[in-house]
Amino acid sequence: MDIKESIESVRRQFRSDSDPFPSDKDSLENLKIKFLGRKGLIANLFSQIPNLSNDQKPIAGKLLNHLKIELENSFPSDTESAFPLEEKIDRSLPGVTYPPGNKHPIQSTMDEIKRLFGQIGFAVAYGPEIDDDFHNFSALNFPKDHPARDMQDTFFTKEDLILRTHTSNVQVHLMEEKQPPLRYIVPGRVYRNESISFKSFCLFHQVEGIYIDKNVTFSDLKGTLEYFVKKMFGSKTKMRFRPSFFPFTEPSAEVDIWSEKNNQWLEILGSGMVDPQVFKAVNVDNNLWNGFAFGMGVERICMLQYEIDDIRLLYQNDVRFLEQF
Amino acid sequence: MKISYSWIKDFLDINLTIDEVAETLTMLGLEAEISTNFDELKEIIVGEIQAIKKHPNADRLNICKVFDGVNTLPVICGANNVSKGIKIAFSPVDSVLPGNFKIKEAKIRGEISKGMICSERELGISDEHDGIMILDENAICGQSLPDYFSTNNDLIILDITPNRADCFSHLGVARDLAAKLHLNLNEPDFSTLPKSSDISSMIEISMDNLKDCPRYVGGIIQNVKIKESPDWLKKKLESIGIRSINNLVDISNYVMMEMGQPTHFFDLDKIKNKKILVRRARDGEKITTLDEIERSVNSNVMLITDGESPIAVAGIMGGFDSAINENTKNVLIECAYFNPATIRKSSKTLNMITDASKRFERGVDYNAPVLAFWRIVHLIDELNCGEWIPDIMDTYPEKIETYEIVLKKKLINEIAGVNIPNDFVVKTLSSLGCRIYEKDDLTCSPPSWRPDLTRDIDLIEEVIRVYGYDNIKSSNNYTSIMNFDDFDPHHNLDKINSSLIGLGFYQVFNNSLQTKEEAYFYSNKKDLIEMKNPLSDKMTHLRYSLIHGLMQNIEHNVNNGIHDLMLFEHGNTFSYSDSKRLGIDEVQTLTGILHGNYQEKSVHNSKSKAFDYFILKGLIISFFKKIGIKDLHFIENEMDIKYFTYSYSIKYNNEMLGYMGLLSSDISKKFNFKFDDVYAFSIENLDNLFNIMNAPKLFKKIIPYPPIERDLNFVIDSDLTSGSIIDFILSKKFDFLINIVPVSIFKHSTLGLNKKALSLNLIFQSDSKTLEDKVVNPIIDGIIEVVSKKFNAKLR
Repeated sequence: MDIKESIESVRRQFRSDSDPFPSDKDSLENLKIKFLGRKGLIANLFSQIPNLSNDQKPIAGKLLNHLKIELENSFPSDTESAFPLEEKIDRSLPGVTYPPGNKHPIQSTMDEIKRLFGQIGFAVAYGPEIDDDFHNFSALNFPKDHPARDMQDTFFTKEDLILRTHTSNVQVHLMEEKQPPLRYIVPGRVYRNESISFKSFCLFHQVEGIYIDKNVTFSDLKGTLEYFVKKMFGSKTKMRFRPSFFPFTEPSAEVDIWSEKNNQWLEILGSGMVDPQVFKAVNVDNNLWNGFAFGMGVERICMLQYEIDDIRLLYQNDVRFLEQF
Repeated sequence: MKISYSWIKDFLDINLTIDEVAETLTMLGLEAEISTNFDELKEIIVGEIQAIKKHPNADRLNICKVFDGVNTLPVICGANNVSKGIKIAFSPVDSVLPGNFKIKEAKIRGEISKGMICSERELGISDEHDGIMILDENAICGQSLPDYFSTNNDLIILDITPNRADCFSHLGVARDLAAKLHLNLNEPDFSTLPKSSDISSMIEISMDNLKDCPRYVGGIIQNVKIKESPDWLKKKLESIGIRSINNLVDISNYVMMEMGQPTHFFDLDKIKNKKILVRRARDGEKITTLDEIERSVNSNVMLITDGESPIAVAGIMGGFDSAINENTKNVLIECAYFNPATIRKSSKTLNMITDASKRFERGVDYNAPVLAFWRIVHLIDELNCGEWIPDIMDTYPEKIETYEIVLKKKLINEIAGVNIPNDFVVKTLSSLGCRIYEKDDLTCSPPSWRPDLTRDIDLIEEVIRVYGYDNIKSSNNYTSIMNFDDFDPHHNLDKINSSLIGLGFYQVFNNSLQTKEEAYFYSNKKDLIEMKNPLSDKMTHLRYSLIHGLMQNIEHNVNNGIHDLMLFEHGNTFSYSDSKRLGIDEVQTLTGILHGNYQEKSVHNSKSKAFDYFILKGLIISFFKKIGIKDLHFIENEMDIKYFTYSYSIKYNNEMLGYMGLLSSDISKKFNFKFDDVYAFSIENLDNLFNIMNAPKLFKKIIPYPPIERDLNFVIDSDLTSGSIIDFILSKKFDFLINIVPVSIFKHSTLGLNKKALSLNLIFQSDSKTLEDKVVNPIIDGIIEVVSKKFNAKLR
C-alpha cells in the first residue's frame, strides 16, 4: 500500500475510534497507546520511512508529523485533570502554609498597658536611654552616695553618662519642658548591672506614669492603680497597697497582687506621691501643684500573664516560644 | 534582718499570732516574711543527739548517736556546734533534701553513718551553713519538721527599706508595732548608775575629726570572767541565727540585736598607750582584723588606734591583736556614733559588710551609745562576768542639734485625700518618738533614732503609714482635661508591627549590649559607645545595628531545628554625634531578616522555595503599601555597606528611608556560624517614617472607565534592565499611560548576540472616557519610537 494511503487510513481509523471520545481514563489511555504508544500505529508508520525512496521520504515524513501532532492535540495535555469529577479530591490535605508571624509578648503587654492608661487620659511620652546624672538620679532625690549610683548597680559609659535605670528620667524631662497639668505614661528600655539569671536580665522594659495637677491625693493614686490592676489582671484580683520607700516619692507604696497559684503576694508596681524635692529640682511650684508617680516592669507583668518562668526566654527569641502568644 | 517574735514580746504585751504580726509589719512598711511552706521537708524529722564521740580516723568529724523517736543511729557530722542533748533536724536514710539530694547510708573513713544532721542551708530555710540548725529543746523526737515548725514558728524575716535604720533591732520594730496597735512600749533597762570612780588615768579618748566620729562612749570592766553564756542568752541569739561565742561577745551581739547599737570590747591590757584615737587611716597602714585577715587601709577608712597603731576598723570590725580571749582581765567597752557616710565609704573600700557596718552606714541613734553602755553594764552585772569601774567617758564635744519641723494640719489631709483626725496624728507621732507642740499647726521634734524624718512630708508619710493605706478610700478625680499635641508620638509603631506580622514576620527583642567586635562589624568605622563597667566582656558596647541580634536569633533557632525565619526588631541604636544632646545619637531603627525557605516542599509544592531578593523586595513593597507608602525607588549599591554582598537603598520622594539586600557571607566567617543566604532590610530612622505616615491621606476618586492593556515585545541589549526602560518610558509622561509591568524576559541565540526580548504590559486609562484604539495606537507608536531610539531596541 502507498504510504500516503496508509497514513490516511490510520487517520480514518483514529477518527472512528475516537467517536465517541472515551469518557473514562482507562479507555483514553488505551486509545492513546494504540495510536501514539511506543509500538503504536504512528510508530509503525515511522518505522516504514527508511524503506521508502529518497524522493518520498521527506513528503511522507512531513505528512506523518502532521498526523502525529493532530493526534497528540486530540488528547488532553494532562489526563489527570481531564477527569476531575472522576476522583474525589482529598480535602483532608493540609492547606498551603504561609509564614505565621507574631507580636513579641513584651510588646503585647506594653501595648495593653498603654491602652489601659490611654482610656483614662494618660498620654505617652518617650525619652533617652542614655542620660545624665541629673535626670536619672539627682533630680529624683537620689542622695550622692545612694547604692543605685554604684557601679555595681548601674551601667556607665566611658564618659560617665548613665544607661538609665528607670524611665523616671523622662518625668524630669517632661516637667522641665511642659507646664502642668501633666498626665503621662513613659514606656521604654532600662538597664541594670545585674548578673543574668532566670529572674533578672541586664535590661528590661518599664512603664512609668506621672500625674501632676492641682489637688492630687494619695486617694487618687489608689483609685488609678486599682483601675489598672483590675483591668490588667481581672476584676476579682486581690490587691494591696503597702508602705515602701523610693527616693522620689513620699509617701511611697508598693502594690502587690495575690497569686492563688503561688499562695503569696507578688509585687507588681512601685508608686507614691511625687516628693517635694523633685518639684524643687525642676522648678515646679509645689504649693500649686502636686502629683503621683508609679512604675512597673513590663517583663514582670508579661511573665505573670503568660506564666513564663524564665526572663531569658523573652530575649532568646526561639520561634517555638514566640509562636505561643 | 531576722527577728524573733518571742523577743519582740519582751517589749510589748502583744498576743497576735505570728501571721498577724507579719501582716501588720508588712502593712507598716516593714516587709515581713515568715517561712510557712515546709512541705518539702516532710521526710525530715526531729532528732536528739544522745552521745558524741570523736571519729577515730578524722579529727574534724564526730560520730553522734541520734535518737529519731524509735531507734538510736550513728550519724557522722562535721559541724562544730553539735553537743549532747540538743535537738536537731535529722534527715534519715532514703529521705530527700531540697535540691533532690537523697540521703544514703554511707561509710565515712571506715565508720557507718545512717543519715544526716542538717544546717539551715541544707534545709533551704536560710543561707546559714555555719553549723547545724538547733531546734527547741522541747521538740518531740520523730516529729516531722513541718509539724515542728507549725508549733515553734518564731522567726520573722524583714526586708527593711534604706530609710528605716531604726528597725535594725527588736526594739525599733516593737516601737512601730506599738504605734500601730496602740500598745505601751516597755524599754529595756537603760538606767544610769552613779559615778564613783575615775577612769581618766586608765584611758584617754579623743577623735581626730568630729564629723567622722561625733561621739565615743567608753568604760572599763575589770576582773573579767570569760565563760559560756547562760542558756537564755544562747537561745535568744540562736533564735535569730547567731552562734553563741562567749558571755562578753554574746552580750555585745545581744545589745545590738535588742536596741540597734553596735558595740565593741577591747582587751584593755593590749592597748599600748592607754589611749583611744579615732582617725582616718594613712596610706600604707595595715591592720589584721578579727577574722585574721591582714588588710591594707587608706584614707577612705576610719580606724580606732592606740594613738599610733590601728586596733580596730571603726564601725566595721575589731582588730585581732586587741581582741578579748579567755585570758582577758580588763575590758574597754566602746559605744560610738560614727558618720554614716564615712562608714559606708570604709565598708566599700575594704569590701567588708558586717552587722555593725550595716547599721552604722544607715545611721544609728546618736544618743544610743550611752543607752547601750548602761545596758551592757547591767548585763555584765547580771551575768556576773566582771566588775564595772563606776565611771563613763562620754566623749561628745559638739552636741548634735535637734530640730523642729512645722507640720500644717491641713496638708496631711490634702495629701492623703481623706480626713485623718488630729488626735490620731498627735498620738501616732508621739508614739514614734516625736516631741510635739500643738498650736494652730503642729511643731515636731523627731527622735534621735529617726534621721530620716527631716521634713513635713516625712511626718505625713509616718501618719499615713500608721493610719493604714487600706483605710484610705480610692478615688479618681481627674480635674483637668489634658491638651496633648500627640497622645503617642510612636503610635505608628502599632501599624508597623501589625503590617510586618501580617506578612509573616516574628517580632523579637534583643540585647542592646554587645562585644566590641560585634558592634564595630556593622559600624562603618564610627566610634561607638563603650561601657565603663560592662557586666562581662560580651557586653562592652552599645549596638549600632540591630542585625547582629537577629543573626544570633537565626543561629539559636537553626541550632534548634528551625531553619526558615522571618524576624524583625525595632529598637534604639547608638552612636556619638556632636550635634546631639549629651553628644549621643539614639536612633530608633527597624530591621528585619529572611533566612531559609519562604515555602516548604509539600503535597502542594513539588519544590521548596528559598528566600531570594525578589521575595525580599516584594515583602518590602507590600509592607510599605500596608503603612500607606507607595512609589518607592530602589537604587543599587548607592551606599557602600561592607556587610552586604549587594544592597539597594529604599527611597521615597528622594528621601532615603533605609536599605535592603543580601548580607555578605563574611558574617558567617566572622561569627563562626554557617548561615544560609540572609536577606535583610533596615529602616534607619523611624522618625522619618512616622512623618511620612502622619501626612494626611486624601481620597482619590475611583475611575469608572476601564483600563486598556497592550503588550510590547522589545529586543534589547541583554545588560539593559527592565527598570531603566520602564522608568524612561514613564518619565516621558505619555498620555493615559498609568503603569507598565514587565511580563517576560526571553533569551535565545536567534535574537542575536547579547540580546534579549523584554515583553512589557502597558496600561492606559482615562479619567473621562473609555479609551479607543484610535486614541491608544498613536501613543503606542510614540512609545515604540522613543524606546527604539534611546535603547537601540527593535520590536520583536
